[in-house]
Amino acid sequence: MNETGLHELSEKLIGTEIKAELLRLFHMNPGILDTIESIARRIGRMPKDVETELSTLVELGVLRKERFGKLDVVSLNTNKDREIQKKIAALIEGGAKG
Amino acid sequence: MRAPTGISELDAMLHGGLMRGDVALVVGSAGTGKTTLALQYLVNGATKFNENGLYITFEQMPAQIYRDAVSFGWDIRKLEAEGKLRVVCTSPPVLVQFVEQQNPIDAMIAEINAKRIVIDSISHLESFIPASELRGELYRLINHLKMKELTSVFTVESHEVFGDRLVVTGVGLSFLVDCIILLRIVEIQSSLKKALTVLKIRGSNHDKQLREFEITSQGIKIGVPFKDLEGLLTGTPRRTGEERFAEAFAKAARKGK
Repeated sequence: MNETGLHELSEKLIGTEIKAELLRLFHMNPGILDTIESIARRIGRMPKDVETELSTLVELGVLRKERFGKLDVVSLNTNKDREIQKKIAALIEGGAKG
Repeated sequence: MRAPTGISELDAMLHGGLMRGDVALVVGSAGTGKTTLALQYLVNGATKFNENGLYITFEQMPAQIYRDAVSFGWDIRKLEAEGKLRVVCTSPPVLVQFVEQQNPIDAMIAEINAKRIVIDSISHLESFIPASELRGELYRLINHLKMKELTSVFTVESHEVFGDRLVVTGVGLSFLVDCIILLRIVEIQSSLKKALTVLKIRGSNHDKQLREFEITSQGIKIGVPFKDLEGLLTGTPRRTGEERFAEAFAKAARKGK
């Protein structure tokens, strides 16, 4: 179960190159509070390619999307991110023991 | 009534620091030290004056700011963890929405009880807001910050490295702000030096001399005023008439011997 859980979680989190890039961007720059278009520019991608991947991370709770005036603004959900990191660490530890 | 920058020589030039609740503009071309000065103002606020601060950046990523700050001995990540400082990386369209109700930037200001804010740099707004609306939007932003009783520093890029024309922005930003600090690169005897002067403080006297400054391992360090030179703001100063006369006199005296 642990191995499956870890596989599923890591697939959801970093299943694609763009998702991995987004996670790296937000982990290195936790103060980002920006539009999808601008976030795409920050990782050197097109908004259409980033949108779906961002939505998955929002669904997972790692990122937060809020309406801000006329704009949708995305930021890192620090608490949820920490929680997921702990979960991954626990799964890895469980896998190593098993 | 003052918010000291913590850069002692600059505070002396400002007669004690920035006026509390004011907006100061730091103007300079690329590489003059605008970001360092602005960051130093926030770090000193958080560590020396118990005044927390928010740093808003557009193009420069926080990771780079954290890294560069380390070279000055400033641990921004630690200050963030302690709730004393917050680095926000956003883009001009988001900042403009900052004046809307219930926005996350206001929430952050309240969360860390920020007393200081830096927007680095306001020049980026020019490429986003139509010229006809820019002045009005800046006026709204400035008043929003003033209502929150924040002492603000905006940086703005001046495109001319050298030259006798200084244009802060095309929208008269210099009239909207309360204080202007000018950073300039000057060429003296074939080497480039950095110069700083206070151009204006609304409602207060200030030092009007042009001083040399350096970016050291502890941040900005301001030295003594430039001597015996005129036309420094053009970037290519000349020796003063007195200095030229003294040299000619000394030369003549040497010949006469």
